[in-house]
Amino acid sequence: MAEPSILEIQGLRRDFGGVQALGGVDLQVRRGKITGLIGPNGSGKTTLFQAVSGMDREATGRIYFDGHSILGLRPSRIVALGLGRTFQLSRVLPGLTVLENLLVASRPDDSEAEDRAHNLLRQVHLERQVHVLGKALSYGQQKLVEFLRVLMRSPKLILLDEPAAGVNPTLRRTLWELVRQLQEQGTSLMLIEHHMEVIADLCDEVYVLNEGRIIARGTFSEVREDPQVFAAYFGHRNRTAS
Amino acid sequence: MLWESSVLLQLALSGLLAGALYALLACGLNLVFGVMGVINLAHGELMIAGAFLSWLAYRYIDLHPLVVLPLVMGLLYGFGVLLQRWLIERLTGRDELTSLLVTYGLSILLMNLGLLLFSADFRSVPVLQGGFYLSSLDLVISKPRAVAGAISLALTLGIFGFLRYHRMGKAIRAVSEQPEVAMICGIDVAKVRQMTFGIAAAMAGAAGVLLSILYSFSPETGGEFLLKCFAVLVIGGMGNFLGALLGGLLLGLVEAFVGGFFNVQWAEAVAYLLLVLVLLLRPGGLLGQRHAVF
Repeated sequence: MAEPSILEIQGLRRDFGGVQALGGVDLQVRRGKITGLIGPNGSGKTTLFQAVSGMDREATGRIYFDGHSILGLRPSRIVALGLGRTFQLSRVLPGLTVLENLLVASRPDDSEAEDRAHNLLRQVHLERQVHVLGKALSYGQQKLVEFLRVLMRSPKLILLDEPAAGVNPTLRRTLWELVRQLQEQGTSLMLIEHHMEVIADLCDEVYVLNEGRIIARGTFSEVREDPQVFAAYFGHRNRTAS
Repeated sequence: MLWESSVLLQLALSGLLAGALYALLACGLNLVFGVMGVINLAHGELMIAGAFLSWLAYRYIDLHPLVVLPLVMGLLYGFGVLLQRWLIERLTGRDELTSLLVTYGLSILLMNLGLLLFSADFRSVPVLQGGFYLSSLDLVISKPRAVAGAISLALTLGIFGFLRYHRMGKAIRAVSEQPEVAMICGIDVAKVRQMTFGIAAAMAGAAGVLLSILYSFSPETGGEFLLKCFAVLVIGGMGNFLGALLGGLLLGLVEAFVGGFFNVQWAEAVAYLLLVLVLLLRPGGLLGQRHAVF
């Protein structure tokens, strides 16, 4: 029997002045699993994240998160239901310290927020940067802080938009270890990533998006054999995706 | 002699106390600009509303302005929240000219409402008389100025502490820096903006109550103080809370020294000359522009 979905998207559409970014996307994220979302640049991956997280409230269709219909809800409501996300380009708050960046994302009633923040920072070896301003961190450290900020509310589902882009190999390893730990603890994750070895290594299921439509779904080894996927990436149908 | 140390000290203290009131008013205006990107041209009228509430309470129920101060701040906070919810929120994300036009309209509306209710006559609340004599320094500081300056400074620093250390203050700073990120942190950005406008209106109201014990005022006085606020913001840095505090104190000092050595008209001229100099040499203001650390 299939695991129940934590996120279910049905017929999601989004147009930008006549240009179709999402053309009726159906997608499920299984509870406790890591789901990959891949596709060429401009295929609609980030647009989908924007709609799911409530940042873009112009999309139509249906989105159910943990049993709640969330399309059109404000981002703060969706976050309160247990969804967290990161951005493609690091969006650390530059004028707040590392600790403040984390605390600002904690639940208002979380009396142990500061301890939680210190523990998370220790886990990724950023404990010495607690009082450093966000803007003074390296790009890789900013991406890590952004990720930790999401964890402050212990979300049920995390949307990661290219979390390793621009991050050095050492920090990248730390990041993937954290992702694995989260999955072991039962957190569901959805990952946009261009490094196929990461998708192959981490994801239980992969969706391939091209020109706003899902063109393939399955394990990584299944989708890489799909000629449509190869065509989407390379413009030919005669080889499999690498 | 003007160069005697006691006179210089007297001028410096008077300037700092007057500047503290400018800072209180300008910090509120700056907070709204820093968080919403809106230049509220009705900020001076909100101050005058505070001054008239103080005058009404003193005139009709014999309440001391310092007793009325928290009540006025509460009232203006509520008014600010409603203004933000019903009017200013609609300006968020639009160009600055739109917000200028709408808040200019609001300013005219409030000023004319004041003229209708209270006429153009000048009023004052003469509750504090005389001065404090500091024998060790051989200084006399007028009581209204000392009280108004000290309370202004305490309120400004209190709001600064709130922004710096309180959870909601951090949320305001997050919205000021990156509203999209604040949303995804679970912060209700619309509510934070309402709170911010409420705080700014309460600061203006408090400045109005303190103004009422210092100077005479009419419904048209708001514009004059708004101009000073702009000078303070340009000097300190638009959107920078500490910049507004520094700019306010600096403007007060310049006015006191130039007024003391020459005359009051020169004080105004030199204050605006300082503004021009800052624009030429450091266009972002002394402490930098919007999104700088609060």
